[in-house]
Amino acid sequence: MAAVTIQNVEKTFGTLKVIHGVNIEVKEHEFVVLVGPSGCGKSTLLRMIAGLETISDGEIVIGEKVVNNVHPRDRDIAMVFQNYALYPHMSIFDNMGFSLKLRKRSKAEIEKKVNEAAGILNLVPFLQREPRQLSGGQRQRVAMGRALVRDAQVFLFDEPLSNLDAKLRVTMRTEIKALHQRLKTTSIYVTHDQIEAMTMADRIVVMNAGRVEQIGAPLELYDHPGNLFVAGFLGSPSMNFIEGHFSRSDGEAVVVTEAGTRLPAPDLADAKEGQAVVFGVRPEHLILGANGVEATVEVVEPTGANIEVFADIGGADICAVFFERHLFEPGEKIGLGWDTGKVHLFDKESGQRI
Amino acid sequence: MSAKLKKSLLYWLMLSPLVVVILFPFGVMFVTAFRPREELFVFPPRWWFSEFRWSNFVEMWEKTNFGQALFNSLYVSIAATALGLLLSIPAAYALSRYRFPGKSAYRTFLLMTQMMSPIVLVLGLFRLMVVLGMVNNLNSLVLTYAAFNMAFTIWMLQSYFSTIPRDLEEAAWIDGATHFKSLIKIFLPLAVPAIAVTSIFSFINGWNEFVLALTMIRSSDDYTLPVQIYSQVAGRYQVEWHHVMAATILATVPVAIVFSWLQKYLIRGMALGAVK
Repeated sequence: MAAVTIQNVEKTFGTLKVIHGVNIEVKEHEFVVLVGPSGCGKSTLLRMIAGLETISDGEIVIGEKVVNNVHPRDRDIAMVFQNYALYPHMSIFDNMGFSLKLRKRSKAEIEKKVNEAAGILNLVPFLQREPRQLSGGQRQRVAMGRALVRDAQVFLFDEPLSNLDAKLRVTMRTEIKALHQRLKTTSIYVTHDQIEAMTMADRIVVMNAGRVEQIGAPLELYDHPGNLFVAGFLGSPSMNFIEGHFSRSDGEAVVVTEAGTRLPAPDLADAKEGQAVVFGVRPEHLILGANGVEATVEVVEPTGANIEVFADIGGADICAVFFERHLFEPGEKIGLGWDTGKVHLFDKESGQRI
Repeated sequence: MSAKLKKSLLYWLMLSPLVVVILFPFGVMFVTAFRPREELFVFPPRWWFSEFRWSNFVEMWEKTNFGQALFNSLYVSIAATALGLLLSIPAAYALSRYRFPGKSAYRTFLLMTQMMSPIVLVLGLFRLMVVLGMVNNLNSLVLTYAAFNMAFTIWMLQSYFSTIPRDLEEAAWIDGATHFKSLIKIFLPLAVPAIAVTSIFSFINGWNEFVLALTMIRSSDDYTLPVQIYSQVAGRYQVEWHHVMAATILATVPVAIVFSWLQKYLIRGMALGAVK
């Protein structure tokens, strides 16, 4: 097991720069998730760590060794591909034992290792089958198994769950997390699904347009997003953003929207009077109350566990999540309040947290 | 009778003249090959023969040196196919996996070579073989057939290779395989259907080729089958038609059987190559 250090790494395809100087440190035993919208460069970065893409600039260090010019086979990494990349002409046993066979391990050792991994992943009954005879979830586990038999320094996962149906995805998510807790292999996991990122990661790296937006523990990023992008990306339904100007009047801090609605805000030292800001509040932090700001209900979506209410608050859209079953009628007036300690303010121009 | 059955009967009826036209030469070939010699030119002509004259084949085999020609044809077709594939597989692999300058120009060039009829090139090729000292040498046919087939085989293989996910090779590298090993262990086994299909095409091209064989080969010991059969007809006072037809059956039927047996692979291979 080894740490992975990514230093000022850049990637250009022809004249197109897709990764702009990325710095990430993955500690030993850590489970780091790279998350971002599609096209943000997260998969490219993972493939650069794997050695499947060249590194245009900067350095990638695995363990103590700079691996920029090291062939994938000598990096001692294991990777789970999005489409699993199982060898279709080999049995599951051979698929899982392929890497050991290449390393000229003894038959007995290969058998032992493969059976061990198959035991962990409940694949023992399928070892003699071929990949096409397995279901999506089973194939996914074989792909994991292939990585597991290796005792590799680092595990890389490239959106391994995106081809599974929703239910299986949740199950596999838990299995992967449990597996990591047991094996403690340094892992780098790429996904576009913020829930996967939140639930699995020790630390999340949020990426956007080839840059790292923020790195931190899941709840830390959720509670203190560094900028508008991270704030909007993590959380479902996502954070409400309302544009306005910061103002202090009568000793109270507010954000005044264009329509003149006054939204109570935290009195932050760095916020200047009249500064153009974006007011951000998470749907689950909205509280129903008569003395709140007036909002008009537009759509109500009960999910069973909770109720999502979409409303108009002073000309801006807002979404609120309630765990009590308030079944409002469209057009109904409600009062929405919040704890100003849970409100996030961002500078409108830079998008950075104030 | 169901509407569907009626419809298909109607279609078959409409197609039947075409079927007759196509099958007629085969029918003539068949009845002539098994006919006793005396019945070849009787008048009025008879459609059927009085007995199955198997001995026609035995006589023909000895008289026309058929065994040697068969061997020559097999040698040329197999060697040309092997040589062609040996060169086409790497070329197709490079075309499907790598980006390099002039790639699309190269593909167009390959296609353009197909626009030239071999007959146009016969003279030039003959003179080339004279220079190389390879006239009257079966290997001259091996070289030219392989060369003529390569454009086709490269295109065919390349379109199939592109359907084999790159991830599989990448997974093999990460598993610890060298580039070469991943080719041998992962890529080529998956490319077998395409390789089989292109070999069949290439083999049949070599098997049927006539003009180049007629040009390059002088001595009757080196004749390939088409030339050998032709030599039984051309420039003779008396043509032993029953022998010619017996030879034709032996030259075409085995290949036709193999071809139809492999047809399913052929269609699968072509479809797989086409639909990405």
